[in-house]
Amino acid sequence: MKLKKLTPVLVALALGAPGLHAQTSPSRSNAVDPASIQALKDMGAYLRSMQRYSVSTELTGERVLADGQKLQHTAAAELDVASPNQLRARMYSARSQREIYYDGKMATLYTPQQKYYSSVEFDGPLSVLVTKLEERYGVEIPLYDLFTWGTPAAALDKIESGMNAGQDFIGPDLCNHYAFRQGNVDWQIWISVGNKPLPRKLVITNRGDEARPQSVTLMDWKLKPGFKDAVFKFTPPKGSTAVELRPLDKSKGGAS
Amino acid sequence: MNNLFNKRLAAPLVALFLCSFALAPIAEARDGGRAGGGGGAARASSGGGGGGARANAGGGGRQVDNSQRDARTNDVRNTSVNNVNSNRNVNASRNTNVNSNRNVNVNVDNNGGCCGGGWDNDYHPVAAAAVVTATAVAIGSMVRTPPANCVPVNYGGIVYQQCGSTWYQPQGGQYVVINPPY
Repeated sequence: MKLKKLTPVLVALALGAPGLHAQTSPSRSNAVDPASIQALKDMGAYLRSMQRYSVSTELTGERVLADGQKLQHTAAAELDVASPNQLRARMYSARSQREIYYDGKMATLYTPQQKYYSSVEFDGPLSVLVTKLEERYGVEIPLYDLFTWGTPAAALDKIESGMNAGQDFIGPDLCNHYAFRQGNVDWQIWISVGNKPLPRKLVITNRGDEARPQSVTLMDWKLKPGFKDAVFKFTPPKGSTAVELRPLDKSKGGAS
Repeated sequence: MNNLFNKRLAAPLVALFLCSFALAPIAEARDGGRAGGGGGAARASSGGGGGGARANAGGGGRQVDNSQRDARTNDVRNTSVNNVNSNRNVNASRNTNVNSNRNVNVNVDNNGGCCGGGWDNDYHPVAAAAVVTATAVAIGSMVRTPPANCVPVNYGGIVYQQCGSTWYQPQGGQYVVINPPY
């Protein structure tokens, strides 16, 4: 009985709602919503303000086979970070295990199963390290973006479209959901609501291939980590062998 | 009775530990087997636990076996990208190549011919036809151990084994024969 009386009101509300929202939300297509860009800036500033943290990630990636069929694979990584120039990353997948150490002076790659390590001298902040390692050696640090957001290396002016996509829960955390288009990628990010605007989920769709392979990255944060600075220094384990890290062969079309 | 127990147990135990690729537990299991049935089983299981724990500490847990995998799964024309701000992933070699050569096996020479380019993506496009290699070992074939005379080379963050013109990439507990990464 009560329900019947209420129904017209509800219908009216529902019909009215989109109209009300249209006045306040930007709805232009292919436009960059300034508030979404500001959310990235706030997240970047917060990331750059953090001194010590651990973050673990699970990633689902895709390979596109010759005929367009896609296969998914998974990998995980744990990062211990002390700003501005110390990092330990441990990467796990069914196919390989790798570790990266950077103590501000030396960057070392280690494969624990085969006990091979490669060290290169390096100094500079993590934002430069991740760029140089990739450009020069083709080595990608997990969660690369974490070290570039909030720095000039993350150029927000390359974003061609940006919008607020509402809110969602990632684990227990309420997050703002944003969607961007930039070059050949569409990407979505879920940033925690509140005074610690940390990324909790990142989805990247590669539009460079018509199969649109996509990666999904989940991030879990530990803001009061227990590690000591000693974890960043690589000491070759007994029985390990040094292997030269060969720079990328640019003539083969590697990254410039 | 002890002998019977011993015989029945020894073979499956050895098989079990071969699967785990943990060498120490194999030796322990054999020793235990010789020492006597009950003791052998107990020690073997503790050895197995140790092997598992070590593997877990390394993050992998039980070792994967890719020997039954179809060769087509290595014929990779493209991959997902893992980060937004990397020049390589977004703007550089991969996407340039993809745009100009859609639906072709374009990924072969990307990233200096290496490994797909993501920290997760240690699949080499071994079946791609663009690189013709004079090698005695078939591209894509799996071996448990590369020949003894191979030299380790760290390229693109992956330590390959190079034996002359033949290249092996570690993959799980095995090695897959690949096109030269550079």
